[in-house]
Amino acid sequence: METVIAVSHLQKQVLAAAANNNKETLNILADINLSIVAGTSVAITGTSGSGKSTLLGLLAGLDVPSAGRLALFRQDLTKLSEDQRAALRLGKVGFVFQSFHLLEHLTALENVLLPLELGKHSGDLKQVALAALEQVGLVARAQQLVTKLSGGEQQRVALARAFVTQPKLLFADEPTGNLDRHTGQEVAALLFRLQRDHQTTLVLVTHDESLAAQCDAWYRLMEGRLQRQEQAA
Amino acid sequence: MRVYWRQWIRRWRLPEMRLLFLALWISALAVAAVGFFTDRVESAMERQASQVLGGDLVVSSSRPLPDNYRQLATQVGANMAEVISFRSMLSFGEATQLVQVKAVSTHYPLIGQLQGSKDLNTVGLSLNGQLPASGQVWAEPRLFDALQVPMNATVVLGKSQFALTTAVTKDPSQGINFFQIAPQVIIPLADLPATGLLSPASRAEFSLLFTGSDRAIRELKANLETKLAPTERIRSLQEGAQNVQQALQRAGRFIGLAALLSVVLAGAAIVLTAASLVRHETRSVAVLKAFGLARRRILVDYLGNLWLLALIAGVLGAMVGFFLQALLAYWLVQVVAIDLPAASWTSAWVSIVTALVMVTGFALPALLRLLDTSPMQILQGSFPRQKSLANWLILSILPAIFILLWIQARELRLAVWVFFGLIAAVLLFWWISKLVLNGLARLSTRPAWQWLALMRQSRRSLLLVVVFAIGLFTLLLLTALRTDLINRWQASVPADAPNYFLINIQANEQAKLEQFFQQKQLQTTLYPMIRGRLVEINQQPVTSDDYPKAEAKRMLEREFNLSSFANFPESNKLLAGKWFDTQTQGFSIEKGIGETLGFNLGDSLTFDIAGQRFTETITSVREVRWDSMQPNFFVIAAPGTLLDKPYTLITSLHVPTAKPELIPQMIRQFPSITAIDTSAILGQVRSLVEQATLAVQGVFAFTLVTGLLVLWSALQAQKPERQRELAVLKSLGASSQLLRQRIWREFLLLGGLAGVLAGSLTMLAANLLGYYLFDLALSLNPWLILLGALVGAVLVASVAWLNLRSLLRVAPMALLKT
Repeated sequence: METVIAVSHLQKQVLAAAANNNKETLNILADINLSIVAGTSVAITGTSGSGKSTLLGLLAGLDVPSAGRLALFRQDLTKLSEDQRAALRLGKVGFVFQSFHLLEHLTALENVLLPLELGKHSGDLKQVALAALEQVGLVARAQQLVTKLSGGEQQRVALARAFVTQPKLLFADEPTGNLDRHTGQEVAALLFRLQRDHQTTLVLVTHDESLAAQCDAWYRLMEGRLQRQEQAA
Repeated sequence: MRVYWRQWIRRWRLPEMRLLFLALWISALAVAAVGFFTDRVESAMERQASQVLGGDLVVSSSRPLPDNYRQLATQVGANMAEVISFRSMLSFGEATQLVQVKAVSTHYPLIGQLQGSKDLNTVGLSLNGQLPASGQVWAEPRLFDALQVPMNATVVLGKSQFALTTAVTKDPSQGINFFQIAPQVIIPLADLPATGLLSPASRAEFSLLFTGSDRAIRELKANLETKLAPTERIRSLQEGAQNVQQALQRAGRFIGLAALLSVVLAGAAIVLTAASLVRHETRSVAVLKAFGLARRRILVDYLGNLWLLALIAGVLGAMVGFFLQALLAYWLVQVVAIDLPAASWTSAWVSIVTALVMVTGFALPALLRLLDTSPMQILQGSFPRQKSLANWLILSILPAIFILLWIQARELRLAVWVFFGLIAAVLLFWWISKLVLNGLARLSTRPAWQWLALMRQSRRSLLLVVVFAIGLFTLLLLTALRTDLINRWQASVPADAPNYFLINIQANEQAKLEQFFQQKQLQTTLYPMIRGRLVEINQQPVTSDDYPKAEAKRMLEREFNLSSFANFPESNKLLAGKWFDTQTQGFSIEKGIGETLGFNLGDSLTFDIAGQRFTETITSVREVRWDSMQPNFFVIAAPGTLLDKPYTLITSLHVPTAKPELIPQMIRQFPSITAIDTSAILGQVRSLVEQATLAVQGVFAFTLVTGLLVLWSALQAQKPERQRELAVLKSLGASSQLLRQRIWREFLLLGGLAGVLAGSLTMLAANLLGYYLFDLALSLNPWLILLGALVGAVLVASVAWLNLRSLLRVAPMALLKT
């Protein structure tokens, strides 16, 4: 099986303002070791402020680590510039965010079209986007501005946007965090279904342990280190 | 490419994008409209310059020109025509009219063609080189109106009768002379002596016009220059009408710079809008970066987007500006008969470049900051406040303003002056507004003034007040100048002030004329007028070459009007020395001429009067009020001293409106006298000034529109903040009614404040201008402040209401969620 993400001895420190007006180094991630195989789903949980989102950002190449090795699609991210890292993501990596981050002035369809238009995709892009919306059950609302949609519907548009380029790797940051319990479950079910259908590797950061339990692997982030959590099933 | 286009269309949905477009469009429009228009007037000037001159080379003088000049022209093979032009009265039955008589020789005009018709109802056609035959006079169409005279009627000029046979619609050498009040008539040169209108002391211009090959003209010019008498002047194309042209070019540039004020205000709108666009787009950029878009791609995307926006705004602005200008030109052509050539396309380019410079200087810096957006922000959910604008102000916004000023001024020095003037003005408004707002905030802590608490958000209010006050100030100032100053100037002229000037009164008619006035019970003094040229100061010869200033040169090239009389002129003020009495003789000079030519009390001046020299010492210096409607003289000699020289007489008198027949009676009795109706001139000057300022006011209306636009952009930028505020208030139980009142109250106050500031500063500026430029007494006009407050309050509150009312209709929950 192909390894999509390989991390060893990863560290991240940031400078934070301290009470005595000096800057103080904060160790957010102390020693992360992780390997994720293609097609699997991995959950990372932790308390607020434990560094989950920081880790997700590092794994996706949105930020660079302070030390350690980090490879994405076998490319050493620490040796790439911001633009090179961006190019590595283009078309291969998808995102689902807690607060959706859809572009408000665009319709549902246009939001889904966006990553297709940005990448080197050809053919009838509109049909591809509509098919993606179909998969999340929102084809009827394709022409609506996303601000007119409910939270659950917006997250479904975000899922369609994430999967429309058939990414090899999907990062989901608290995908149900802004949704009520019922809607959250619906969206989660949709996420896992799409992940299985597209054979996508999924990295899921969440508070929700029931959601984490549905993944192939579950890690807890505590004091800057990952601990493998035994699955119930 | 299609992706960019699609992105562009989609971004158009953002209100900020549309605001940006509007600001760019209005700027391009203002620049184009003004540019096209001034360009047309300028090229009209240029084209007319050669025609105004009437030839490639012109020699003119206030004295008859010697015959050998004509021979010189024949020797080099140049064509020649001769023109003598002067003012006189023309009568038809009982009616009389001041006209500009032009007596022309054969071959006139050397350049271009006379146009006209034998029938007042048909369009003038080229007259194919014809000229009036002996006993005929041709006239401008407006003479027919003024005198109510039919075609082919017999009219009288001096002692001769003429048949009025042709209406001349175009005389190429007439040029644009806004102040030419008298209609022009053309008679054959050969008929002139018989009219008896020219005496040795008459004011007339004698000209010889020449055309020919470049070589012939050069040779002729060189020959003539060695022979010129002091009163004679040579003009060639290069020098022709240059002064007028320069003055008009300057005026055009100033109007262009005035238009730029609205451009700078629009720039403020762009800066504000770009800032809120950035706030809006930060998240988009973070998302796009997370998806893998490179910085370069994002840069190209936004750059292309904004430049396309500016390009479209510039092109549309130039188009609409062209139409506005065409309307303005159409209106101007009706008012003053000038022939405007087609506009060149330069102004279209300038307006497009303006839009591009604006978007690059004002908007792009803010958007470039977007590139630094870290995709991590999207995970952390925090979008840090953008850094202050100060850096961009220095690095990009101020340079952009300067470039725009430079493009308009086409002169570095002028651009620098206006640039710093503009900064000073904005700082002044800023400082005063800040002071007032801080004062109000402090006042609001007292219980009785608590309703002013809304003004405590002074940072937010300051911007609105400053921007709007500047827009309103420019408009109010122009209104004040147009109405207030003109009214006050008119009020300063007494009701029984002279309304007629009589010139060309022959010395031998003096006694009879005084008798005529006595019979008619008119009080008036006749002043002798002697023409002389200043040739020496303190026995040292002077010529125009000794002075660098154009004004001084002109004074030395022309002849002065000298006079001599005993009574100190009423409207003058003695500044130094002693007025003439039996002991004091010499010259009394006007202050300004002494300053210009550099002489003062005790210096001696020598004048050449009809070939004789006359020297005296300066014994007094006077200040003259030129607008007193009395005959005024630069140099007055002691009573009786100059009357052995050739002279005419001049006077002014008040003709009551109840006695309109008086002047025609006088002209019939004394045909050589020229009567100038100064009330008509005043009226014409007044309407000209009014029309000119109205046009400029039109330009400043742009400023108000852009002021409103900036207001809208500022409100748009402050919307999220206000939205949160309103949501909190609503959740605490504030009714929509209360919030509505709150919005109205806040903006009525802000608008009123801006208006009061603008009104007060207008009053101050108008008074200063009136005092220093027009010598008017200070006067307070509280209406300006009231008007400013009212207009400000209504406009600002209405615009704010339009912008913010949607926030009231939203449920508080939704407000909190966004």
